Amino acid sequence: MNNKRGTDKLLSIYWFVMLTLIAGGVFAMVYVFYGPPYDVREIESEILAERIADCISKQGTIDSDFFIDKKFNPAISESFTERCNFNFDVEKGYGNGDTEQIQYFYEVEFYAIKDLVNPSFSLNDGNSNWKGDCFIKKENKKEYARLAKCKEKRFYALGEDGDQYLIKILSVIGKSEKNVKQ
Amino acid sequence: MKKKGTILVENIVFIILNLLFLSILVLFLMRQGSGVILLEQTYSKQIAMVIDSAKPDMIIKMDMYKGKKLAEKNGFDFNDAVKIEGNTVIVKLSKKGGYSYSFFNDVDVSPYAAKDNKEEYTGMYVFEVREKGVENE
Repeated sequence: MNNKRGTDKLLSIYWFVMLTLIAGGVFAMVYVFYGPPYDVREIESEILAERIADCISKQGTIDSDFFIDKKFNPAISESFTERCNFNFDVEKGYGNGDTEQIQYFYEVEFYAIKDLVNPSFSLNDGNSNWKGDCFIKKENKKEYARLAKCKEKRFYALGEDGDQYLIKILSVIGKSEKNVKQ
Repeated sequence: MKKKGTILVENIVFIILNLLFLSILVLFLMRQGSGVILLEQTYSKQIAMVIDSAKPDMIIKMDMYKGKKLAEKNGFDFNDAVKIEGNTVIVKLSKKGGYSYSFFNDVDVSPYAAKDNKEEYTGMYVFEVREKGVENE
């Protein structure tokens, strides 16, 4: 009888160890699945690039405001962000707390079709510190998850005098604090 | 007779503990999938993406039925679930907490919960997008 009691006790201990292991596994899986925040930065950078493209050209022709005396108008780079209705302010929770870092960056380069190496004109705005993240080879996704997400978009459009231009847009989103597990 | 009684109590305790354990596990799983924190984050990011892609004069409707159910459960008015301050979306589905996410599109957005003929919330949220500084007609 004593032996049977002993076996029963051993069985219940074994049973509870099994249950704890299963529960631990379920908790771990759920934590891994739901724990990290949803990363929407790729979508966000794609939207930003699309919005910039819409702002530059309509139906394949670069807006006339980009040119002055058949040359690119340098003043457009000052007003481009405002002209496209962009507001790069962010809510609290980014940066080191004292100063809110700008979490966006964009760069637009216009290449004449005869010279695709040196841009004829370029403009940018936002936090240029993020740009470097785009050129890091991200072999291991986990290690580089906190880096900014970039999107490069290229398209052709006609200038004021019918010249063809290749336009390269680079849009970058930081916001790792709200999109990657810290 | 005494021994038999002890065995029965042990078994009952064992079964109750097992049931308790499993029900906690199931409850945990159910809460995680439709938890306030997760839904608040999902909705605020979704709304921010939608606003980023929107153009002035657009009216956007978004299904937030799960959010409505959760807000009702937490005794929170669904009409106060989404607030837009400056260029930040704040989603709250309970009296505590909330989740905010910023958008870069510089527009004015008025969010409100849609109601049916009986003046009850349908679970849809409406976002009216207007050019910055332009008053609602």
